[in-house]
Amino acid sequence: MTQQIELSGVNKYYGAYHALRDIDLSIRKGAFVALVGPSGCGKSTLLRSLAGLESISSGDLIIAGEKMNGVPPRKRDLAMVFQSYALYPHMTVEQNLTYSLRIRGVKKAEAKKAADEVAATTGLSILLHRYPRELSGGQRQRVAMSRAIIRNPKAFLFDEPLSNLDAALRVHMRKEIRMLHDRLGATSVYVTHDQVEAMTMADHVVVMRSGLIEQQGAPLDLYDRPVNRFVAGFIGSPAMNFVPAKVGADGETLVVDLGGPQTIRMARPLQPGLNVIVGLRPEHLLPAEAGRALLHLPVASVENTGAATHVTTATTPELTLVLNGRIPLSPADSVPITFDAAHLHLFDAKTEMRLVPA
Amino acid sequence: MRKIISSLTDGRGFDIGLVALPLGFLFLMSGLPLLYNVLMSFQEVDMFSLGSFVRPFVGFSNYVALFSEPETWPIFANTAIFVTASIAGQFALGFGLALFFWVNFPGASWLRGLFLVSWVMPGLVVGAVWNWMLSGDFGVINFLLRESGIISGNIFWRSDPSYALWAVILANIWLGTSFNMILLSVGLSSIPDDLFEAAELDGANVWQRFYTITLPMMRSSIGAIVSLGLIFTLQQFDLFAAITSGGPNNASNVAQYWAWDLSFRQYDFARGATISVIMIVFVMFASVVYVRSTKQEVRG
Repeated sequence: MTQQIELSGVNKYYGAYHALRDIDLSIRKGAFVALVGPSGCGKSTLLRSLAGLESISSGDLIIAGEKMNGVPPRKRDLAMVFQSYALYPHMTVEQNLTYSLRIRGVKKAEAKKAADEVAATTGLSILLHRYPRELSGGQRQRVAMSRAIIRNPKAFLFDEPLSNLDAALRVHMRKEIRMLHDRLGATSVYVTHDQVEAMTMADHVVVMRSGLIEQQGAPLDLYDRPVNRFVAGFIGSPAMNFVPAKVGADGETLVVDLGGPQTIRMARPLQPGLNVIVGLRPEHLLPAEAGRALLHLPVASVENTGAATHVTTATTPELTLVLNGRIPLSPADSVPITFDAAHLHLFDAKTEMRLVPA
Repeated sequence: MRKIISSLTDGRGFDIGLVALPLGFLFLMSGLPLLYNVLMSFQEVDMFSLGSFVRPFVGFSNYVALFSEPETWPIFANTAIFVTASIAGQFALGFGLALFFWVNFPGASWLRGLFLVSWVMPGLVVGAVWNWMLSGDFGVINFLLRESGIISGNIFWRSDPSYALWAVILANIWLGTSFNMILLSVGLSSIPDDLFEAAELDGANVWQRFYTITLPMMRSSIGAIVSLGLIFTLQQFDLFAAITSGGPNNASNVAQYWAWDLSFRQYDFARGATISVIMIVFVMFASVVYVRSTKQEVRG
């Protein structure tokens, strides 16, 4: 597969502030890549650097085989969907769609035909003569998408395009964007702070923090094998539980500190006496039958959603459990818990890096 | 009675009172003089009938007489030149400066604030300063023009009939540019940055972005500033009083100065009122444009 976008050793400084640190990223043609991370992590800066709206301080940026470092945005042939949509308020939907074509000198009739075609696929046909202020949020979002599609660019850049929509529409548009991507055979880079969006839409997820790529890979790889505590806590909802623990003298058991010590067995041995952090996903903690519990956890509060029971424990640190079905529990109860030792994530207490069992 | 009082303290009466106060003020201080002015333009007014409202009604004969005067058309032409050239100059320079400060280099906002100095200066002071600068024998403008080789002999800006009007226009442009700049700066900064970014990604170069985004998005600001410019330049009086007094031989006389001259120096109040009424028509037109353009703001 050919690489559509390649970044190697990219750095970006704002004065003394190091916004992007040694970014290496390859995006193959047709891929849907999500850049995800907390606010201020550099994901938007990275996207804007791809677009050319920010210049990179060092490193190489190659788009479709051409070095693009100093090339102005208008010559990069990339389309961007902005968080605010950035529709031209003084133009009708049709004029918004055909703007890039008119700038390039495409004939009026041809531009109109292209607008009609795109509008038909995105359901905007009856709105072509409206102004952006006369549209709903979802419709504006479609116009922003269509304006990108009509250009048939080398890649689509999305800058948190769904964050201004309500929850139901967001879930719907998630699917729609992904379907459009597949139908057009496009290359997309998608910035979001919502890890669910990243996990559900992308083929390749890039998790960033303070200008660094912490981990990148297929969504489920990130879920199954987070390289450090940050990625582990960022991917997955509700977030992973972290508990401090110490490897027992035999190297095969863990003494978990949940206010009081409890001992559990590990799948594979580790160096005795090592201080670790145990990561357990809420959905991997299961109610145990009598006598087979690995942990006994006092209950602090119970929330029932109908399909699942969310339990917060009265331990320090407190744990979140998502138990399937309706389980009659009330505060002050103790719930016996079991889990598959393979689902245990272990991180070094000092470096917070994933521990590969010896 | 009780009902009226209670509605005054917490009901519609209070709202009506709030609206009535400024309306009454406007009617007393602006409406009545305006109407009186219109009335006078249809009457025969002399020094002896000044004190009474009831004066001989003469129909349009003041208007007819005005337009049969030989100086009328030249003075109206001067007014047109003064207004057009002043607005064009103020707008072009103001827009240029607004775009310049929009770049936001270090110290831009500080420097922009400094430009307002010209706007807060009283017209008479500005006129006095320009008098010195435009002075024929020792003025700095003549000095600069002469030293740079543009002219060989001194220009007598204020006494030469072909330059007198332009001397006032020059001073008026200087006076009004910063106001144009501030209003247009506000208009520019209200355009969201991402529109320009979107246009840039859509392939538009700097000029295309200016013509397809900046200008259309500025339409209401431009409409407002041009109509305000029309109103302000038609009000410009101080500079004429300070620089040329309308002379020489009406070469720099304009309608507003002439109306004052007729009414308060020659005591021909009817003629003065007639000119004012004609000007009111133009100012009303400008006001309508202004109100319309500030109403029709295009915002995403």
